[in-house]
Amino acid sequence: MKAVTYLVLLVAMVGFGFGVYRLAGMFKSDGTHVQKPTSTYAQALPGKMFVAQGGAIYRFQNGTFKQITDDAGWTQPSSSPDGTQLVAVQRHLNYSDVYVLTDSGRIVQQLTHLQSSSVEGNHWAFLPRFSADGSRIFFAYDDKAPGTYQVDLTILSVPAGGPGRDVVWTVPNPFTGGDTDPVPLSDGGLVYTKYSIDDQAAVHSQVWLTTRPGAGGTPLTKPEEDCVQPAVSPDGKSIAMVCRHGQLQSTELVLATFDPLNGTVGPETVLMQGQLAASPTFSPDGQTIAFLAPVQQGGRFQLWTVPADTSPSPSVARPITQNVGLDSNAAPVWEKR
Amino acid sequence: MGDFSARGQRLLDWRHAIPLPRPWRVIAGFLLAGLIGLTAYFLPLFQSASTPIATSGGGLINPVSGPTDPFTVLLLGSDDDSKFPGDQFNTQSMILVRVDPINKQATMMSIPRDLWAPIEGQRYMGKISTAYQTGGVQATIATVEQNFHVRVDDYIWIGLAGLIKLIDTLGGVNLVVTNPVMDDFYPADINTSSPYGYYRVALLPGPVHLDGVQALQYVRSRHGDIRGDFARSERQQQLLLAMKAQSKHINLADFPDIASALNGEVRTSISLERARQLYSVLDQFDSAHIKRILLGAPYTSEGWAGDQSVVYPNWGQILPLVSQYFAQ
Repeated sequence: MKAVTYLVLLVAMVGFGFGVYRLAGMFKSDGTHVQKPTSTYAQALPGKMFVAQGGAIYRFQNGTFKQITDDAGWTQPSSSPDGTQLVAVQRHLNYSDVYVLTDSGRIVQQLTHLQSSSVEGNHWAFLPRFSADGSRIFFAYDDKAPGTYQVDLTILSVPAGGPGRDVVWTVPNPFTGGDTDPVPLSDGGLVYTKYSIDDQAAVHSQVWLTTRPGAGGTPLTKPEEDCVQPAVSPDGKSIAMVCRHGQLQSTELVLATFDPLNGTVGPETVLMQGQLAASPTFSPDGQTIAFLAPVQQGGRFQLWTVPADTSPSPSVARPITQNVGLDSNAAPVWEKR
Repeated sequence: MGDFSARGQRLLDWRHAIPLPRPWRVIAGFLLAGLIGLTAYFLPLFQSASTPIATSGGGLINPVSGPTDPFTVLLLGSDDDSKFPGDQFNTQSMILVRVDPINKQATMMSIPRDLWAPIEGQRYMGKISTAYQTGGVQATIATVEQNFHVRVDDYIWIGLAGLIKLIDTLGGVNLVVTNPVMDDFYPADINTSSPYGYYRVALLPGPVHLDGVQALQYVRSRHGDIRGDFARSERQQQLLLAMKAQSKHINLADFPDIASALNGEVRTSISLERARQLYSVLDQFDSAHIKRILLGAPYTSEGWAGDQSVVYPNWGQILPLVSQYFAQ
């Protein structure tokens, strides 16, 4: 009987020691913990959204996520004006291609064929957007001479399936990485981000407006604001963007009035600051902005919303997801239904 | 004989050796089991502290006397892939960091890898990045100390795989990519038997979360930026700030994972206890109080030394700057 008691106590002690070992491990920080969107629920938003995480595109509707593509390098979705199709990027090791997809993720058409047998013969295509009439697709493309070190992105537009020729819209500053974030406007113009390097070797980014391919264009923001990732409201009268003001670890989410005819933006309202806000997009009614930012410092990027309100009272941003870790370079796509 | 046997029996009877009531013995047993569990959990930490990843710099290293004294650390990063035999690396990244714990201020100064300077132990001028290849960490520290007129208190060296592991163990880093980082000739030299290959890198601008491989691409790419190595140095400093921010989220329970990940990938003169002190000091620093210095124009100018593309120092400009921020 005594031996059994000792044995039970010994087993209990060993179990206790193992428990302490496991308990210590539970105190590890879990900032890296990320779930697939399909295994989470979130607060429902009106309409539907498309977001990207880790090589797949997800539809977010009624508070749940549905994966619509394979985990195969898919990212940066954007919707057609009628909301029936998506244009998205499939990224590979040395190249990427632009595809038209149905809103359930089925491939309709491969728009680019940028793979090459030589490493430097490959090309990149990023950040595709439909034109306002849906006839063309704009994207950032490395229009480079193979074998050189210069790889600068330029904004290119190609026909969305119909006849027509490819059109180069912008001329990037050399060896800056090039131009990004094309946003075609309803009047035929284009808003995009251009990069420059000043006399002190500091990099600046500015949101630019150009009215036609090859035209010089007009900067909408100042170099010292360092603004990127513009989004234009559905009525074309407001612009949201992300500005870092020389900071390297934080950004501001900025909203301003926008006059495309005169090429100006009005007074800026900061909707969120001191965090890493990225990739804003307007809701279909233009009343709300969805964007991506970590919930905690150092955390992964989550879906947020904030009222698109330029009044002096501070807007209240709220996170919609908590632990999904979305692609911060893939702006959410927000559709009516 | 009978008396001896009885005494032996008493000695063997452990109950006589531990004069505790039975309940206390049970409690002591559980405490001992818990201690063994904790020791097992932190074992990688103890192992890393006792294995030679912490190599002393001998007489060259000057340990500071207390945690509140200002100190200077030389951070070194090398391409340690199989292109380089044994320990014959160049230091592609050299960053002097001055920390003032009392005033909670720090300064980072990147030393251009191609800086043309006298190398310790050599009778000729060379790129400063070659000092490690010819004389190891001692020669590197001596070269920096003699050229920049600073005293290096400690050093940390890390290789490619070490940086990847460190950042992955931290859970990645968040930072703002300032412009597209494009490189068509990025070395494919990690986990490969053919280290001379290359692949394409494209990191898009804006706020991002980078894992270890992406972070290494960010600080190593240089071909597509007109600023070349200076752009890379700027991104390396930015990554250090991001790692500092990310380290706020780690705690004591994360240390064994970090020690395991870095075992053999990092060399430093900093002891485990000193590292704990430094972590505590740096945790209190606001990144806004960390000054970042790049030695571009007018501190340096690019040129040629024979057939080598080099960076010529303007010591008349550099030394007053170093004196201002790195004075003892």
